[in-house]
Amino acid sequence: MAVCVKRMNASGIPLKEPSVSAAAADAEQVERALIDASTRVPVLMFYASAMAWLIIGTLLAGFVSFKLHTPDLFSEISFLTWGRMRPAHMNVMVYGWASMAGMGTAIWLMARLCRTILRHPLLLVAGAGFWNLGVLLGVCGILLGDSTGYQWLEFPHYAAIILFVAYTLIVSWAVLMFRFRRGEQIYITQWYLLGAFLWFPWLYAAGQLMLFAVPVQGVLQSAVGWWYANNLLFLWFGAIGLGTAYYMIPKVIGRPVYSYHLATIGFWSYALFSSWTGMQRLVDGPFPAWMVTASIAATILTMIPVATVGLNHHMTMQGYFPLLRYSPTLRFTVFGAISYTVFSMVGVLISLRSVARYVNFTQASIAYSHLGLYAFFTMVIFGSMYYIVPRLVGREWRYASLIKLHFWASVYGIGLMTLMLLAGGLLQGENMENPSLAFSETTETVLPYLRGRSLAGILLTASHFIFAYHFGLMLLGLGRTSTVPTFLNPVEAEGPETHL
Amino acid sequence: MKGLAPLFLGIFGTFAFSWVGLTVIPNWQIGHLDPQMEEDGSDAYPQPQSGMVERGARVYAANGCIYCHSQQVRADYAADDIERKWGGRRSAPRDYIFERPVFLGKMRMGQDLSNIGARALAEQENAPPAGATSPAASPAPPGGAPAPGAAPSGASPSPPANAGSPPPGAAAPKTTASPPPAGSPATSSAAASPSPPANAGSPPPGAPPSKTTGSPPPAGSPATSAASPPPSQTPGASASPGPNAPPASPTPPAAANASPAAGAPWPVQTSGQPPMYSAAWHHVHLYSPRSINVDSNMPSYRFLYQTRRINDTPSDDGLRLSGSEAPPEGWEIVPTYDAKCLVAYLISLNQSHPLKEVRSAAPAASPPAAPGK
Repeated sequence: MAVCVKRMNASGIPLKEPSVSAAAADAEQVERALIDASTRVPVLMFYASAMAWLIIGTLLAGFVSFKLHTPDLFSEISFLTWGRMRPAHMNVMVYGWASMAGMGTAIWLMARLCRTILRHPLLLVAGAGFWNLGVLLGVCGILLGDSTGYQWLEFPHYAAIILFVAYTLIVSWAVLMFRFRRGEQIYITQWYLLGAFLWFPWLYAAGQLMLFAVPVQGVLQSAVGWWYANNLLFLWFGAIGLGTAYYMIPKVIGRPVYSYHLATIGFWSYALFSSWTGMQRLVDGPFPAWMVTASIAATILTMIPVATVGLNHHMTMQGYFPLLRYSPTLRFTVFGAISYTVFSMVGVLISLRSVARYVNFTQASIAYSHLGLYAFFTMVIFGSMYYIVPRLVGREWRYASLIKLHFWASVYGIGLMTLMLLAGGLLQGENMENPSLAFSETTETVLPYLRGRSLAGILLTASHFIFAYHFGLMLLGLGRTSTVPTFLNPVEAEGPETHL
Repeated sequence: MKGLAPLFLGIFGTFAFSWVGLTVIPNWQIGHLDPQMEEDGSDAYPQPQSGMVERGARVYAANGCIYCHSQQVRADYAADDIERKWGGRRSAPRDYIFERPVFLGKMRMGQDLSNIGARALAEQENAPPAGATSPAASPAPPGGAPAPGAAPSGASPSPPANAGSPPPGAAAPKTTASPPPAGSPATSSAAASPSPPANAGSPPPGAPPSKTTGSPPPAGSPATSAASPPPSQTPGASASPGPNAPPASPTPPAAANASPAAGAPWPVQTSGQPPMYSAAWHHVHLYSPRSINVDSNMPSYRFLYQTRRINDTPSDDGLRLSGSEAPPEGWEIVPTYDAKCLVAYLISLNQSHPLKEVRSAAPAASPPAAPGK
């Protein structure tokens, strides 16, 4: 048992030779503790902001979900109208929660993997401050009726500029860190993180320029919009999520990644193919057919990175699955990694022309984006937070029961939501393709499923409040003082290593 | 992986590849389209919108209409949009060259709106007078606020239209309430025909052919009038206004609008509802969607309206609400300027003008659809 604990607690960086002398291991321990300490302020700042946005976004989501099947709820008040709350919810989740939590994790991973203490923390603190300001202004702008009307770029220009400034600060920090890194080896996680850090500003700038500064003509705005949204999902969130999973899984089980070679294929095919998706959402719209076809083909080709990444994680985990009983980080991360596969397969399915005919313009697309942003990305980030936060505050998570509640409420919540939206979307699309049915019948069809989605939303809300409370305890220094991490279940005498 | 250079180049390269492939090349291909026009430069389509319409588009964006309403008609082989009478042909890139932002949409919790303006005309002129709508459709109503009063000339073709409409049985009782001025005869007849479910996309027998009237070309109108045989005496009537109408009304005749500067308010009808998709109808619908269609899932946009005390005479813009929605005695509900702009924008949405690059689907798709109802 002790072996197991030690492994979870203090294993070397994956890929390193497992046999290091005790003294060297101790030195590494100290070095890592120093690095962790140097990341405390900026990473906690990102995490705490992200948690606040998560709660705000969750409350907004509740309104959005209930208002969709109860349209008269608060409809007299302009800033509570559904058409404003929905973009507010999406943007809070995308830029407030997911981006900030993702950046927090990415910053910590960068410092760890560059094996150098975090330099210039002021850049990050300023970046986080400006980023919060940008999101706050943007959300207020949307609620007050300043939305631009472009998916995921609804923030009015004054907020967009602030976000960009904030991001410039953060990315310049990332580049600096790379200059100070120690060791020749660049680990897989770093490829993804460097990619994410460099793709995002290009993407954001390209989107802003082509839609606002030098706007493209007519329907191309829509193409640029989908290109932006899809690449944000894949190249920004997806890259951070996959990079994090590549770190956390080997780290927690204390075993190197199964195949470095597979990881290379996975990374480059991911960068190449996933960036070409997006146009499938315009299927049969007023566009040259080749654009849509190219994206459908690219979507199918994303099965290559999915297969290689999935295989790699699976083979790494092979024999270590029983650890899912104990480690919160592993449980969340593995759920996220599996969801990545599901997300991609659903993506391929709904992009096929024969299926898109039915699911285009329906709730199924909402299911898809929630699979990507929540079931995959957010769950991976939750996992990483369970790993990182104790190392920043010097306390262990207080209640295993709360972690378990958080996990199961999230899993059932997102599972129910996805099922409801997929099934509802399919029926909705089927009815829409049946012109003998009145249009309002298609909307009626989906209403029960939307109520089911609201139920799922309640579960997710509960899970987020539990996590926020637990996180708050940690911030206040009310965690457990212990050398042993918090396990989900008491480690039995038999111990997990009998299964290894 | 060793060394930053290959990593950096790869990251940059894949991104640039996608950027060029999915945005730059399409921009080169369809990013600089001009309006289509006749060789003498007449009949340009589409035309830039301005003023209220432009502001209306911003109201549309600000209030998130795009999350439930698409604005694109897909081809008949790909989807049933045309059969649902959301348009007479598929949308093409050229339809949107002046749209900014463009609202193609992502979700249909509500109907497609790409031709909502054209549908207003179609509904009002109603089934038979296909010809009567052709003038309306030819100029995409610029400035967005096609005033009904502006159609003194349009008024002349409409009486026959009115005469033609009674055949749909439902119309009979309601037309009794149609004495008023200018554009009203046509409108009242239209108002009579859409009984509430028509709003939902499966109109009752009388209404269906109406959509096809959105395709204005001289060539198209025979086809459309052929598609609407039921009303017996009309073919003759519809044929005659067809040719003479275009010269008669270069201004959008569109009996469609009451609100902005309208001279003639809508007659209050026994049904209590203004003609479908007219400006007055949009206002009532925005204010209280379920008063028009009980099955509607649309939120109401009451914050775009103002309840105020009537000073001397009731405003022409006052919403025609009935039942529990009606304001108390001595009060009226009027649209704010934003609401008027939004409605002007909605009424400007009209892709019925034929495009050379798109096969007009009317002959292929509509006739089978009509009997199907």
